[in-house]
Amino acid sequence: MSAISGALVMRAQSPVRRWLRRHGWTYAVWILLLVLVAYYATLIPRFGGFQVASIVNNGTPFVFLAVAQAVIVIAGGIDLGVGSMAILTSVTAAQLMEGQPFAVTLLIAAGLVLAAAAINAGVGWIINKSRVPDIVITLGSLYVFQGMALAVLPNPGGGTSEGFRYLFTGSTRGIGANPWPAIALISVTVLALAWWLGKTRSGLSLYAVGSAKTPAYLSGIRASRVKVLSYAVGGGFAAMAGLALTAIAGRGNATSFGGNLTLNSVAAIVLGGVALTGGIGSVIAVIPAGLILFFLSPILTAMGVDPNRAQVVQGVLIVVVMAITGLIEWRRQRRS
Amino acid sequence: MAKAAQIVSADVQTVPPAGTGDRPARSPVVAYLIAHPHLVLVAVLIILILVTSVVEPNYLSVTGLRNSALFAAPIGVLAAAQTILMLTGGIDLSAAMIATGAAYVAANQSPEGAVIAIGGGLLVGVLAGAANGVGVGVFRVNPLIMTLAMSGILLGLFTTWAQTIFSGSTRMGDFVRTLGGGSFFGGRIPWAVVVWAVLSLGVIYMLRYSGFGRNLYALGDNPQAARLSGTRSWQVLIVVYTIAGLLGAIAGLLLGGRVGAVDLQLANVFLLPSVAAAVIGGTSIFGGVGTYSGTILGALILGVLQSLLTFLGSGQATQQILYGSIVIGLSWLYTRIAAEQ
Repeated sequence: MSAISGALVMRAQSPVRRWLRRHGWTYAVWILLLVLVAYYATLIPRFGGFQVASIVNNGTPFVFLAVAQAVIVIAGGIDLGVGSMAILTSVTAAQLMEGQPFAVTLLIAAGLVLAAAAINAGVGWIINKSRVPDIVITLGSLYVFQGMALAVLPNPGGGTSEGFRYLFTGSTRGIGANPWPAIALISVTVLALAWWLGKTRSGLSLYAVGSAKTPAYLSGIRASRVKVLSYAVGGGFAAMAGLALTAIAGRGNATSFGGNLTLNSVAAIVLGGVALTGGIGSVIAVIPAGLILFFLSPILTAMGVDPNRAQVVQGVLIVVVMAITGLIEWRRQRRS
Repeated sequence: MAKAAQIVSADVQTVPPAGTGDRPARSPVVAYLIAHPHLVLVAVLIILILVTSVVEPNYLSVTGLRNSALFAAPIGVLAAAQTILMLTGGIDLSAAMIATGAAYVAANQSPEGAVIAIGGGLLVGVLAGAANGVGVGVFRVNPLIMTLAMSGILLGLFTTWAQTIFSGSTRMGDFVRTLGGGSFFGGRIPWAVVVWAVLSLGVIYMLRYSGFGRNLYALGDNPQAARLSGTRSWQVLIVVYTIAGLLGAIAGLLLGGRVGAVDLQLANVFLLPSVAAAVIGGTSIFGGVGTYSGTILGALILGVLQSLLTFLGSGQATQQILYGSIVIGLSWLYTRIAAEQ
């Protein structure tokens, strides 16, 4: 509602304002991440490659999951099932990859990403077909995937190849001082995604459907196909998050609840400036947002704050960010 | 869109709702069921009870049904919170954490007497609910995010407090234990079900007959129109979130009383079932549509289902897959029926 009226009555603006309006949030989140890292560096006695690597590597699953959620929310949906999809992928990978050589694990990983995309496309199809709200159907898929994960691997276990662990963590043991493989992996996949979303016809249709479904449909976009597409891409990125989890831990664990991962991804996209109403947001801004959410607890620990308080601070931070954006939006509506 | 709607409605005509037999669509029976969608839920509930009693003949007894009711009561109360919030277009993802926190405080204060214990527990719900209401109503934070953040805040606070101001006993006092797990009338009727029934009457009365209840529907149906016709939405939202917090706290007390000892994971597993119960009962997550009587049926269905799965001896994996499928299947069925109306 507000997105539509905001677009229709947009007034002539100075280029600076317009640039700020379009990209301000993205830069702000990146700057916030850098400020936090700089602050963190002053807090701990030794800050170096190891610390950076630790943040990047352990934050990778959260980043991928946040990106998965972002794609789906931009197209006007929301997927509560991404967290358990990541866990399902993670345990299946751990189960299949144990004792396999690097080349085989790579093939398995590729297969799993495609399979997750196909399964999640099915979720999108069900949403179209049933016309039940996304949040309800994906509440169901959250449980179904979690159950499937438990069926695949009832007890924590499985394994993967050393090369595969290196691919995600820069180390054959999962811990190391090398953030570059993870950075490369995130940059390549998310930049490709951002290019697709921003520069191609099919990618832009996600924004069109997310911001105004009926006009998009009337102007010739097949809205139901776009929904399926967004869920497929989201499923693929959720699978990447799952693969990262397996690579970091070296095993799979289906007993951790995917719902918590999902909730984290929703918080991350909100911090990243993606509107939950759809049609607004950038996946580039979601990368630092996912890292910041993961990164808050080490910072607060370094500050000498009880780690449990980190959760409190994180919650308050998210609410404050949302309240500020809400007030900005409210003022904008009042002025126009 | 119009074409899509035609296609869907055409499908509905050829697929009769489950549980109505193999009659052709548009027969008087089907038409009647479409006009009274709650009957479908009752049918699903009866079929589930029958299936369960086939699997375990002893189920159709006082004890068997009592166990289902005991399981359903906390979900039903939590789902009451979800229902009144979903009517306004909101949701409470902090309900489970509010319940846990309330139970924790009540257990911790049990040595001080039942009144202080219960009062302390309910206070947690009121405060957290009011904070949610201020966030959503005044600062216009998206309800999903506001309550999600509240859930994290409460978890953090209680984890800290469990070692400081609330360290000590986590055993629930006898009075609350009786309320949550005890029964009367020769062990036939659980107290928890009585509490649930009383609360249900209150919630149904509020939604059907009070001006406040109508405000909830109005706000969820069309916030602009509600505002223009004089509803102060922020006040309504603060009150409804506070009531939801209170209901969450009561659910926590019932649950804590049933389990006996409290930890910080107590109510976690009940969050999504509480949303599911409201959804199964036909409350729209977008607001403006729904009744609490539907939610009660939803909670009962989930309670019987839990018994069935326990009797089948199915593991966690099967339970969750089945559970998710039922949420999807029933909401699908329900949406089709609603579309026919």
